[in-house]
Amino acid sequence: MSWLVRLYPRSWRRRYGEEMEDLVQKMPGRLSVALDLLIGAAIAYRDVIRRDRVLSAAGAFLHGVCVAVLLQSIGFVTLILAGQGSSDPTDFRLGPLVFASVVGLPQVISTQLGESLQAQASILAVTRAWLPEAVLLTLLVFALGIVLATPRLLRRLR
Amino acid sequence: MRVRKVTAAVSALLLIALTVAVAEAALFALLTVFSSILRVYLVVELADRYLLVNQAPWVLIPHVSVYEAGTVGSALVTFGCGLGAAAWRYRRWRPA
Repeated sequence: MSWLVRLYPRSWRRRYGEEMEDLVQKMPGRLSVALDLLIGAAIAYRDVIRRDRVLSAAGAFLHGVCVAVLLQSIGFVTLILAGQGSSDPTDFRLGPLVFASVVGLPQVISTQLGESLQAQASILAVTRAWLPEAVLLTLLVFALGIVLATPRLLRRLR
Repeated sequence: MRVRKVTAAVSALLLIALTVAVAEAALFALLTVFSSILRVYLVVELADRYLLVNQAPWVLIPHVSVYEAGTVGSALVTFGCGLGAAAWRYRRWRPA
């Protein structure tokens, strides 16, 4: 279990490393101890990052990038949810710039099948479940909430 | 001193570009997984190339196309969000 001490920042290990390794070797190898060490490493890194202005800005940059990726994923799923039942192509545009478009199932059916099959296929279009999109959207919003709350949670850890 | 500053600026720019590239690759991986789960035919346009995420061609499924403007816009949004967050933290930074 003492290898977990290596997860701590170098400056921290230089000061407390040997003492900590001795302490960990005397403790029983439980999951709770490993978890404590992992949380301790996160706190130690947080303190190192918070002391340095540039590192702090770099951490914020990574956080902003994560938020942007999640927001775009939410936008993608929302676009599918909005456009899948539509009989016209749904565009996501800004003036002349078209960023993305969705061709819904009713339109795919009308362009790819003859009239005789359209009635049967339209049943498929109506019954196509929106549940996976809704579940995925909920999960993504939940993940975004966690990512947004993480800096505050880290600040509260002691 | 001047050379060190230039080197630091170039390193920071390269790191930022690498971070945005990794984030965009992760986003594309996510969209691939989502289009597989949601059963959609995904086409991503990137510099006159088309990346296709395909289901079985005989299955009728909705089509989603992300055009060149969307790909470039996505990279700009990712970069902008990161830069905005970093600038905010840098200006508001106080010693811990």
